[in-house]
Amino acid sequence: MKEVEKYWNPVVETLPPEKLKELQLKKFQNIFKWAYEHSKFYHRLYTDAGIEPGDIRTFEDIRRVPKVEKSMMRAIQGKDPYPYGDMLCVPLERVTIYHQTSGTTGQPVYQADSWQDWEWWAEAWACLLYAQGYRDYDRLFLPFGYNIFVAFWGAHYGAEKLGCEVVPGGVLNTEARILKMQELRATAMAATPTYVLGMADTARRKLAIDPAKDLTIRKITVAGEAGGSVPATKKRMEEAWGAKVYDHVGATEIGAWSYECSYQSGLHVNEALFLVEIEDIDSGEIITGPEKRGKMVITALDRMAQPCIRFDSKDIIQWGPDECECGRTFRLLKGGVIGRADDITKVKGVLLAPTSIEEVVRSIPELSDEYEVLVTKKGDLDDITLKVELIPGQPNNNIETIRAKLIDQLRIKTNLGYNLEFHEYGALPRYDVKAKRFKDLRQKE
Amino acid sequence: MAEGYNVKEMAEKVQAIKEAATELQNISSGIQAVDRNVDRILASVKMLEINISDIVDIA
Repeated sequence: MKEVEKYWNPVVETLPPEKLKELQLKKFQNIFKWAYEHSKFYHRLYTDAGIEPGDIRTFEDIRRVPKVEKSMMRAIQGKDPYPYGDMLCVPLERVTIYHQTSGTTGQPVYQADSWQDWEWWAEAWACLLYAQGYRDYDRLFLPFGYNIFVAFWGAHYGAEKLGCEVVPGGVLNTEARILKMQELRATAMAATPTYVLGMADTARRKLAIDPAKDLTIRKITVAGEAGGSVPATKKRMEEAWGAKVYDHVGATEIGAWSYECSYQSGLHVNEALFLVEIEDIDSGEIITGPEKRGKMVITALDRMAQPCIRFDSKDIIQWGPDECECGRTFRLLKGGVIGRADDITKVKGVLLAPTSIEEVVRSIPELSDEYEVLVTKKGDLDDITLKVELIPGQPNNNIETIRAKLIDQLRIKTNLGYNLEFHEYGALPRYDVKAKRFKDLRQKE
Repeated sequence: MAEGYNVKEMAEKVQAIKEAATELQNISSGIQAVDRNVDRILASVKMLEINISDIVDIA
């Protein structure tokens, strides 16, 4: 393959790290100035902090810029200019599309984009899809409900941009989507990990279709949940579909900021479009190396209508120690997004990331894809229950052996003991989009 | 990597497209079919700036 064909943009994607930093600093200065001059919200925030555009000369200066939290966005929305509030940098007439967050952590946040920002969304997606091997001969099936959530809208427009044929599988039900994929010989799809596994299950049980043999999907981009970077979940998806699965992480209020490339070495941060900083959770100090995980603070460097500057995303991430063989100089994250600061919680005094439980459950082939974790309080003590399902007809369906394996692996991965409940296949809830498998009920008791 | 590509020359062409599109909008007398399509051209031009023009002084 010619060098130029390996990248969406070889000029930017292979910039030496010091040049990339120079570009990020220049872009941060521009977006800061733009927001300071055009958004009442940002002007107030920065004036109160005593920072003006001319003060941003180094990365150290950037770290003095106040962070933005979701609660601040919620506080201004619903006011003029309605419904976004005064974070907007453009008149309402320049806003061409509305989306909102799912509201998983509270009141949904409204997000305005101009036509230029929507091009920017498509650009970021085109870059990531190209890195995952999508080309103009691909027929990409998008089995998601086209609605107010940004979800895979960006995939649609990004794929169009790089020349793919996009099949919008919007209001079809799961069976109809699978049959349409088969009929059209779709080569790729994008969905949440939960839905990728759920579709495979439906195909086998209800349609007697084995996705790996009877369908032609060979590339899957997953987003919306952590599963794409959980090795056992990724393995299950790849085996079920006979396809390569690539992770992508983005967010409504941020953009499409990271992706796995075809080398599957970890999540690349698109450092030409985003500045990612990792903060120590306790001290707030910036972590620049791969030695420890921390909380992400992110800036979308080119998003203009409703800017995202030093947004405290609460995502827990860690820089990877290695460079990717793909030749991109965009840095890698180790283990993808490990969790959200909101989700990583102390149980029995131990810090627990729910993705660790997922990794254990899905590494045991006798268990189904579904599981549920309940954290409760018995008196003063935390109590944690893991519910799993047995796959029917497994030759090694020896519950005691599986129980021993679970106890052992959970202890190693999470350092906790669990009450284990085994359920019949199909007994636990199924989810179509984002799953809610971790339920911390302690505050409600 | 950038040295293998005509970044500076491409950036000049991007600027020329931007200027031509803006001039077109300036003489449109408010014809929506012109103005709105120029808006879209300019949004695409911005993506070219992100990909090429922003790099000129750096690469």
